[in-house]
Amino acid sequence: MSDTQWPRYEVFQQEAPDKPVLHNGSVHAPDIEMALLNARDVFARRPEASQLWVAAAERITSRTREELAAGEPAPSTAGEPQTYCLFGKLAQQAQASLLGEVQAASGAAAIATAQTDFEAQKVLRWWAVPLAALLKSDPAEADPMFAPAREKTYKDQAEYPVVTMMRKLRAGKRLDE
Amino acid sequence: MNAKQKAALAEYLIALADDELILGHRNSEWTGHAPILEEDIAFANLALDEIGHARLWYELAADLLGVDRARFPDQQVFFRPAADFRSLQLVELPKGDWAFSMLRQYLFDAFEQHRLTGLSESSHMPLAEIAVRVRNEELYHLRHTRAWVTRLGLGTEESQARMQAALNALCPYARGLGAALPGEADLPLGIVPESAALYAAWLDEVSAFLAEAGLKLPGETALAETERRAHSEHMAALIAEMQEVARLDPEAEW
Repeated sequence: MSDTQWPRYEVFQQEAPDKPVLHNGSVHAPDIEMALLNARDVFARRPEASQLWVAAAERITSRTREELAAGEPAPSTAGEPQTYCLFGKLAQQAQASLLGEVQAASGAAAIATAQTDFEAQKVLRWWAVPLAALLKSDPAEADPMFAPAREKTYKDQAEYPVVTMMRKLRAGKRLDE
Repeated sequence: MNAKQKAALAEYLIALADDELILGHRNSEWTGHAPILEEDIAFANLALDEIGHARLWYELAADLLGVDRARFPDQQVFFRPAADFRSLQLVELPKGDWAFSMLRQYLFDAFEQHRLTGLSESSHMPLAEIAVRVRNEELYHLRHTRAWVTRLGLGTEESQARMQAALNALCPYARGLGAALPGEADLPLGIVPESAALYAAWLDEVSAFLAEAGLKLPGETALAETERRAHSEHMAALIAEMQEVARLDPEAEW
C-alpha cells in the first residue's frame, strides 16, 4: 500500500569510518538527491554519521532464506555484469549490514554468487543493490552534513526539574518535600 | 574595543539574533503541517537550528554587555516587548504557502552565507569562532533550500506560479537585508562586514540562481521598511504567542 506519491528510498548509514554500513530505514523523496537530504534530516541529526547512502527501493533485489531454500530458476547470466553491494540481515532484530560486493549480471545472480562467496554468514534476508543505483554522501560535504550533530548536546529528559516535580505530584507529595 | 564599541556590537548581534529567532519561530509553525513527513522533520530542524543560532548571538551579546549569559537569551526572547525587537519585517511575515516559506528561507540563508563568511574573518575572535560553526550548519540549510527552490521553480505550472508570486511578494522585504544593522556604523573596520557590500554579492548570486530555477527577480520595486524599529501588524501576535507560556510564570523552572 502506498501512502505517498513519491518513491521510497532505502537509507544506509555508517556511524564512523570503522563501523559497518547498516540499513537504517527508508525515506520518501521526489528524486535521489532529495532522498539523501531527507536521510540526513531523518536519520543523522542526532546520532553520529560519517556516511549516508541512499538507493531507490525499486532498484533493490531482495531474497529471504526461505525463498532461496524453496528454490528458484537459475538467474539469467545474460547482460552486462555490474557491481552489486550485498547487504545481509543476520538476526531478526538486526539491521541489514553491508557484507561485500560482487560482479553479476542481475540482482538475483548477485545473491546466488553471494551464497557461495559468503557461505559462512547466516543471512536471513539478502539485498542486492546495484552500486550504480547508490548515491553516497560526498566526503567533501561530510562536515556541514554531519558535524553539527556531533556538537549538539541534548538535555536528558530526566534533567528537566519539571519531570521530578510531576513525579512528586503524581505520588501525592508536596513539591517542597 | 572600548565600551561604546562593545555596546554597538551587542546591538548588532541582538538584531542578528532577532532575525534568526523570529524566522525560526515562524517556520516552526510548519511543524506537523509540512507537505510530507520527511520535510516536516527537515524544516523543523532548520527552524530549530535558527533558534539555536539566535541563542549563540544573544550569549555573545551578553558577554559584551557584561551581563549573565545564562539568563540573557530568555530575557530577550520571552520578556521583551514586540516593539523592542530589531528583526526585519522579512522574517515576521506570516508563513504563507510552502513556496513562500521555502523561498524566504532560501533568500535569508543565501544572505547569511555571505554575512557569516565576513563574520568568520572578524578581528573579534569570539565572534569569528561562532561564525565558523554557524556557517558550517548554514551550508547544509542552503543546500536544502536550493534543492527545493530548483524543484518548485522548474516543477509544475502551479509550483512555478506560486514560487514567482512568492518571489514578487518577498522581494521588497528581502531588500531590507542590505540595510546596515543597528550598531554597524559605530564599529571600527574589521569587526563586521559591511551590509551594503554583502547585499551586492547576494543579489548577484540569487539573481543567477533564481534565473536557473525559472524565476525572475522583479525589478527595483519600492523599498520596503528597512528600519528595524518598525514592525508590521503581524509582529505583535507572533510575540504574544511566543511569550505566552513564559509570561504565565516568569520564575518557573523548566
